[in-house]
Amino acid sequence: MSSHTFDQNLTGRKTKRRFASYANIRTMFFRQASAYLFLLPALIVFIVFAWMPIVQSIQMSFQDVRLGQEATWVGLDNFALMLKDPAFEIAWKNSLEFTLWSLLIGFLFPVMIAILVREMRFAKGFFRIVYFLPTVVPIAIAVIIWRFIYDPDGGVLNEILAQVGIGRQLWLQDAKLAKPALVAVMTWAGFGTTALIYIASLQDVSQELYEAAELDGATPFQRIQHVSLPHLYPVMSLMFVLQIIAVVQVFTEPFLLTNGGPGRETLTPAMHIYNRAFIRLDMGYASAWSVTMIVVLLVFSLFYRLVNSRLTSDS
Amino acid sequence: MERGFFSNVELRTPSGRFYYSLAVLFLLLVAIITLFPFFFAFTSGLKGSTEIFAGGLNMLPQVPQWQNYVEAWQRFDMARLFGNSFVIVGVGVFLRLTISAAAAFSLSKLKPIAGQFITYGFLLTLMIPPIAYFVPLYMTISKLPLLDISLLNTYWGLWLPYSVDAFSIFVLKTFFDRIPVDLTDSARVDGANPLQMLIHIIMPLSRSILVVLAVLAFVGLWKDFLLPYLVLTDPRSQPITVRLFYLADDYSVNLQMAASFIALLPPLVIAIMLQREMKIGLTLGGVKG
Repeated sequence: MSSHTFDQNLTGRKTKRRFASYANIRTMFFRQASAYLFLLPALIVFIVFAWMPIVQSIQMSFQDVRLGQEATWVGLDNFALMLKDPAFEIAWKNSLEFTLWSLLIGFLFPVMIAILVREMRFAKGFFRIVYFLPTVVPIAIAVIIWRFIYDPDGGVLNEILAQVGIGRQLWLQDAKLAKPALVAVMTWAGFGTTALIYIASLQDVSQELYEAAELDGATPFQRIQHVSLPHLYPVMSLMFVLQIIAVVQVFTEPFLLTNGGPGRETLTPAMHIYNRAFIRLDMGYASAWSVTMIVVLLVFSLFYRLVNSRLTSDS
Repeated sequence: MERGFFSNVELRTPSGRFYYSLAVLFLLLVAIITLFPFFFAFTSGLKGSTEIFAGGLNMLPQVPQWQNYVEAWQRFDMARLFGNSFVIVGVGVFLRLTISAAAAFSLSKLKPIAGQFITYGFLLTLMIPPIAYFVPLYMTISKLPLLDISLLNTYWGLWLPYSVDAFSIFVLKTFFDRIPVDLTDSARVDGANPLQMLIHIIMPLSRSILVVLAVLAFVGLWKDFLLPYLVLTDPRSQPITVRLFYLADDYSVNLQMAASFIALLPPLVIAIMLQREMKIGLTLGGVKG
């Protein structure tokens, strides 16, 4: 009964409001104008420095663009050229290997760290802050330090390994070691942030779950396996995707630490884009690579969404 | 009581103690390895220029050469480099937050027509890898459309692209959405215009999230390399990250290390002093995907 009168009231008010808005079309207009006035700065910078460049990147991939010259349409020439470029296979193969190395070294490691830090009864904050400190270090500065750590002559890493009888290695010059050596620097720089995210997620595990598991006779390792890890799976799957997306785009580390070398062992697609655009000044060709990268990453995230929704709807 | 997968009772048993100590040792070892590059840069910066290449494992300098740090500071002209970095990053953070807050406020409280559509447009930029449109971005900076002005070798060439940040807009909009409409409505009834609403009601309520985003933006922009490297070719205006990397090779390794260590201090100090904000910010970043 009371809800009925309430509804009547509501519709009555609604019609009244509609009449009011017809009368106040001027206020409406000014309200919209002020809304767009506040949006305007963001719209301008997004149009000029994000949306237009994104569109231009796609447009330029079908054009011959060189500095100081009029752009001409060349159809799919840039893409045909790209597929014939020996660097294409090398760069994407490197990208794949970088991804595998980074997952191998850096995917489960932060999970383990987070589970253990969560377990600490003291100094939790100390570990958290120590692990994420490298996150704030500019790569260009980290590189100055790391290339001296890796230095084959007198570098501290070789000296430490010499103590346990491992011979001198050319970390960044050895075709076999350059990739894992770079990934080690990237892991050093990034694992703390990921661990922080896992720790935050572990805070939500209710303590009763651990108690219940314990009462059921689960050993501590079984409790990790059946309580902690399942709780982390959704975040882990997201981190897995974000890590791959980040590694595929990697530029600054190989650019500054190895400049793609030895040979082309650490040449990444992003570095090739840079080289073609800013050294050879062939912007159109570089854009074909850019578009390829956009497509690869979009297809990858769509594939992930698909698999993920299949998996979650199954369970 | 606080517990993890280990219960507090188990931790008092011998095997519990054993595993717990093992975990502490492991975490300490990782902590030492994590901190090692900082420590190594600091002590190497204190060594003499021949001592640094003496073989063998000698972590600590025989006689600390504190004057290396003075020399590095002067030779690399670090006062100027820090000044440049602070101007670039400071204004960059300010512009980014101002523009993002205004946009988020409009999208959340002023209900612009097509607001949803514009929000998607902003978020779209988070899905495109920045390196993939870096080339046309650089061309835009070197010749602005319509105006035909080049922003190369000006700080505007960094400040304006730095203010593009869909993540800040998204986080702020989500935050503003939770501020009750009653507050803004009653202010409107009292005759406040939108600008007054933003400054006197929304901003004070959002101070915490604004600090989080400012810290995150500060660290992110301080780290940036490629854009300032290409936009600022004049050595006198370059930020510390760019200039130091290119100067480094011309000086002896101990000076390089001393300069690197000095250069690391501002972001490290900020991260340690504002660790609560950093923590919130970095975990925010984890859920944005």
